Amino acid sequence: MPQTKTSANRPRLAAVVTAYKRLLHPQHVVDRLLDGYGWAGTFHHPAMDVVSLYVDQRGEGDLSQERMDRHPTMKMYPTIAETLTLGTSKLAVDGVVVVAEHGTYPLTEKGIMKHPHFEFFEQVTKVFRDSGRSVPYFNDKELSWNWDWSKQMVDTSHQLGFPLQGGSSLAVTWRVPSVEFPSGAAVHEAVSVGYGGMGSYDFHGLETIQCMVERRKGGETGVEWLQTYRGEGFWTAWQQGVWSQALVKAALCRSSTLAPGSATFTDTFPSTEQMRALVPDPVAYNYQHRDGLRCTMLLLNGLVRDFTFAAAIEGQAKPFSTQMYLPMPDGRTTLASFFSPLVYNAEQMFLTGKAQYPIERTLLTSGLLIAGVDSAYQGMQRVQTANLAAVHYQPNPESTFWRS
Amino acid sequence: MLTRRRFVGYSALSSAMLAYRPLLHNGWGQAPAQRPLRLAILGSTYRYQSQMQTLADRFLVGYPYDGEWHLPNLQVVSVYVDQLARQAEAAPSPYQLAMTGAKVAPASSAKGTAGGLGRQHAVAAQPAPEKSEQMSDLSRARSHQFGFRLCSNIPEALRCGGDRIAVDAVLTIVEQDDYPSNDKGQILLPSYDFFQQCVQVFEDEGHAVPYFNHKQLSFSFEQAQTMVKTANRLRFPLLAGSSLPVTWRLPDVDIPLGAEVEEAVMVAGGYDSMDFDALEALQCMLERRKGGETGVKAVQLLEGDDVWAAGKTGRWSNDLLSSALSRSDTPLGLTVLDGRTQDLVASGVLPQLVKNPAAYCIEYNDGMRATLLLLNGAIMDFNIAARVAGHGMVSTQFFLPPPPNVTDSACLAAKIEQTFQTGSAAYPVERALLTTGVLEACLTSRHKLNQRLETPQLAVKYQPPAESQYART
Repeated sequence: MPQTKTSANRPRLAAVVTAYKRLLHPQHVVDRLLDGYGWAGTFHHPAMDVVSLYVDQRGEGDLSQERMDRHPTMKMYPTIAETLTLGTSKLAVDGVVVVAEHGTYPLTEKGIMKHPHFEFFEQVTKVFRDSGRSVPYFNDKELSWNWDWSKQMVDTSHQLGFPLQGGSSLAVTWRVPSVEFPSGAAVHEAVSVGYGGMGSYDFHGLETIQCMVERRKGGETGVEWLQTYRGEGFWTAWQQGVWSQALVKAALCRSSTLAPGSATFTDTFPSTEQMRALVPDPVAYNYQHRDGLRCTMLLLNGLVRDFTFAAAIEGQAKPFSTQMYLPMPDGRTTLASFFSPLVYNAEQMFLTGKAQYPIERTLLTSGLLIAGVDSAYQGMQRVQTANLAAVHYQPNPESTFWRS
Repeated sequence: MLTRRRFVGYSALSSAMLAYRPLLHNGWGQAPAQRPLRLAILGSTYRYQSQMQTLADRFLVGYPYDGEWHLPNLQVVSVYVDQLARQAEAAPSPYQLAMTGAKVAPASSAKGTAGGLGRQHAVAAQPAPEKSEQMSDLSRARSHQFGFRLCSNIPEALRCGGDRIAVDAVLTIVEQDDYPSNDKGQILLPSYDFFQQCVQVFEDEGHAVPYFNHKQLSFSFEQAQTMVKTANRLRFPLLAGSSLPVTWRLPDVDIPLGAEVEEAVMVAGGYDSMDFDALEALQCMLERRKGGETGVKAVQLLEGDDVWAAGKTGRWSNDLLSSALSRSDTPLGLTVLDGRTQDLVASGVLPQLVKNPAAYCIEYNDGMRATLLLLNGAIMDFNIAARVAGHGMVSTQFFLPPPPNVTDSACLAAKIEQTFQTGSAAYPVERALLTTGVLEACLTSRHKLNQRLETPQLAVKYQPPAESQYART
């Protein structure tokens, strides 16, 4: 529950971002903290102040000066350390907001952009160590493109004892219908169907699955192996039933953007032949959890422009399914409101000093993304994931998705 | 990228698939338990993304419902398209053509009109048909593909070419095609004519079947009243309305049944010709208040600067307006410029964004007040907030999924099918009746220089369904 703070005692936040431009994640996240947003039927103003800002890449389209002009309490600093110390010698803020998505960074040899989540983390935690004090840390999206670094980030947060919370908005946005995965249910198989590319939106699909299946009987046990399927191999696996076609169909029946397979129709369920025609480059990450649960994350560009989920739950006659709804400002909306629950949950962490959902979820999904790209790089070989087999955790029994 | 050639190639394949219904049934493991109901579909125009195409197709190819692709146990046996009938009437007869030596013209493509297709503005990523295909009639192609009878008049559609009524239900989708308007700005949609022609057949044969009327019953409340009375007299279920009351809500909330509601504000924008839909969505929530619906005492439609002036004098609650706007995902102005969030009320920016605001002010007989604010230029979605005793402000967005799928119409298809299958309207037609009357009275107010009008004719009383009827599963 939010703590009541006096106006003099509002948490002070440092924002550390890649690029502050229109419709980039830093703009969505930091703007909400500065300007507020619609929440629970009112225009909500967060009970905290962003007092300092570090922008790694400025240039054309940069909005940070405009934001500082309207919010003079926020000052820009040339280094991350100064952003946290406010130019003094010690940590001088009560929370850190890191948004390291977007911007322009080199690619790895496997094609993942080297977003500086870890580099930012290192500089932030150096200030924590030097000051002998740590504060809650929000990290948008994945931990790092490098597994060892991702693991190190989680380990460091435990060593220094600060809450670290991150992940994708998919885990916390509206669901249509508004349903939660039954706590403690036995689940045999789960799928998500989404769109976008590997090394970016695959993370959203993985979080879509993980925020649900982590609630299963026994909690999360880790992942043993993963195999990526693309191109013709995808369709062969589809036909062979490597993942359940019934579950994919159930997920697709939750989509509101299913591409009509036939000209002049506006909403039809596509045949497999139509899907093949609509989706020139399908992607699947098929992976096995240690307790036997099999999951598959599908990216079907050309067929859908939303994220849906379906699972076979023991004792339920038909698949459990929903859409993780993203009001997407690509012509459908003007406001990426799915950042509102992400920011709201971050606020709750800053106010309570407790993570609202375990960082191990994000550790696992960050690792699954890396494994998915690795498998594709190795010619669609199955990759053993001993590192991910060691990620065990229990979910927050409370639901944290957008319902009010 | 999918090329047009490839797309068309596969769509030919799909046509064969779609036409072969048993295959679809097997694919989904659904076996019809009983003889399918025979359905006649009557509408204005069957062109791409028309309301008729969007809704009628669902009874041909199925629709998403409750997590499955649902294939209704209904057989579309006949279709009547008013546009084709009117074109045929206007065209020269074969005799005239022969006399002038002209050749028989090929089936002409329909005339495009601006109104009635308010939901095409959004981005469609899918390959859409060519422009000419979009505007041309699809009913002939559908008739070939699905084997229904394409009829040249309404009695023929109900009798399927025979001499007795040969359908179990009638679905009508009357929408703007190129119908004229009156001096109040109402499009003279022939919903009442469609209904009366069906009733004539029902009366002639002493047999009436369930009837769905898309959106408002008529431009005229008097005609709408006659329609409801006729359905009661002949004892056939009549369902009417739009998809807005039955679509998903963000969040999933309703007015608690029997709660005291003091006031409600609906705020909408971005769509043409959707004031009926917005008023009906408002009504579907307010009818749940303590005592049920008691009817409307007076209305006033304000426009222009009078809207802002009325807001300042407390004609509606600014808190409710602010609450409703907090549910919008489509603020315009600075949000479009640089992505920022905006408190549109507190910033005072609304008068700059909205050039032609309209406020539909409604006073109910039991003292409740409601206002529909049409704020084109400020937002592009539909949101409501109501002050409910003991529950504070209840607010939500009526979710309109993007074109071309517009899956809210699947939610409506499910209610239509339920009405046809059970022989009982899924919700009272009095909701659409009252909304039809409120809309007409508001447009009359506008015509009378925005006067407040007493509406004794709108003493429409009814009780809501105990269960909420919007999509939740």
